[in-house]
Amino acid sequence: MNHERARSLLHAYADHETGPIRRFFISRHIATCPSCLAELEAIQAMRTALRTNLTVHRAPPALAMRIASALPREAPPPVRRQPVRLGFAGAAMAGGLAGVALTLAVTRFTPQPDPLAADVLADHVRSLMANHLTDVETSDQHTVKPWLSARLDLSPVVKDFAAEGYPLVGGRLDYVDGHRAAAIVYRRDKHVINLFAFVSDDRSDASPRQENRDGFNIVRWRTGGLTYVAVSDVEAAQLMAFVRLVQSG
Amino acid sequence: MATDGRNRRFELLAMPHLDAAFNLARWLTGNTADAEDVVQDAYLRAFRYLDAFRGDNFRVWLLTIVRNSFLNWLKDNRSGRLLFQAAPADLDWADPDPGPEAMLLDRVDSETLGILVAQLPAEYREVLILREIEDLSYKDIAAVTGAPAGTVMSRLSRARLALRKAWIDNEKGAQKP
Repeated sequence: MNHERARSLLHAYADHETGPIRRFFISRHIATCPSCLAELEAIQAMRTALRTNLTVHRAPPALAMRIASALPREAPPPVRRQPVRLGFAGAAMAGGLAGVALTLAVTRFTPQPDPLAADVLADHVRSLMANHLTDVETSDQHTVKPWLSARLDLSPVVKDFAAEGYPLVGGRLDYVDGHRAAAIVYRRDKHVINLFAFVSDDRSDASPRQENRDGFNIVRWRTGGLTYVAVSDVEAAQLMAFVRLVQSG
Repeated sequence: MATDGRNRRFELLAMPHLDAAFNLARWLTGNTADAEDVVQDAYLRAFRYLDAFRGDNFRVWLLTIVRNSFLNWLKDNRSGRLLFQAAPADLDWADPDPGPEAMLLDRVDSETLGILVAQLPAEYREVLILREIEDLSYKDIAAVTGAPAGTVMSRLSRARLALRKAWIDNEKGAQKP
């Protein structure tokens, strides 16, 4: 093997990334070339320095807990888990123990478990907390729609309503009530609106139904085999106005 | 649907690699707070796309996502953009003989070495971290960085030469009165 060829392979040689035959020829060259031998030793000295002296950063202990609490918990056992999940949402809003206590007190009287509402609420809160609102961030509906369609077998309404005061922010993949869902993100002033869309189990159309849960407004409806759920802390009238825009879109 | 099983599976697969994920993010972002954000984002993505994991090396898959999250983070951070400057193309890569200084590199203290590595372009930093701390093969580094294996080899050798040059410059600077 000539000098240039051997020289160009010295790093791979030091990393044990050459096959045995090539390795043999490189070794034979190094044995007769002081320059390549010095270079190899310099490479090895650096590798040793990096391996023994470079700081290995350990994850702070709180990080594992932070991640664990941000992970979605799907299909919760209906009774026991629910106050915990809503407590998490409450904590996000109130930012403290007072919020948790208050939320626990309120949810104790929640008439029946509603996994869909609990899920979209948790998704909404998480999207705000984790600073992970969008996977694709653009106000261009012609970008968001194909991006979502390419990843999900559904084609929800995606339209920029900036002129009406509801600009499109982007899109995201999410899970709702056991379904892979498109999350289409809008803003109303400083508020975020998450619009979820997923394939319904129930294919019949249903007109919008509005409810308030833990300070968030939720509107759900079904059309064209898709369930839509809009979640936000904007006031109910504004969210309904948004829903009518989506319906007409 | 055994959904709690999904959470359990994720914890078993992903949590053992939290230190590796954080270390890469910390070396890429240069600080703890941003590294935590990048890692959390990566873990939520990994959870979401868990079903897409088909390989046999979860750590490699996860580090790929960490790197992607870092690139997304860069897009949102003007200060971060400075970190990911492209590698200089005009450096003289014709290899001079290393000279005696290069051999002294194994005596460098951890702090100086850390500063020198932190000042390298990110595309050099990441291959050094993946190779020397994570001990990944060229094939795995190629998977994480999305570069062909041949590029990994040349990038790694350039990264080492750039670090050596920085080290020698630093030594010369220190010797000046």
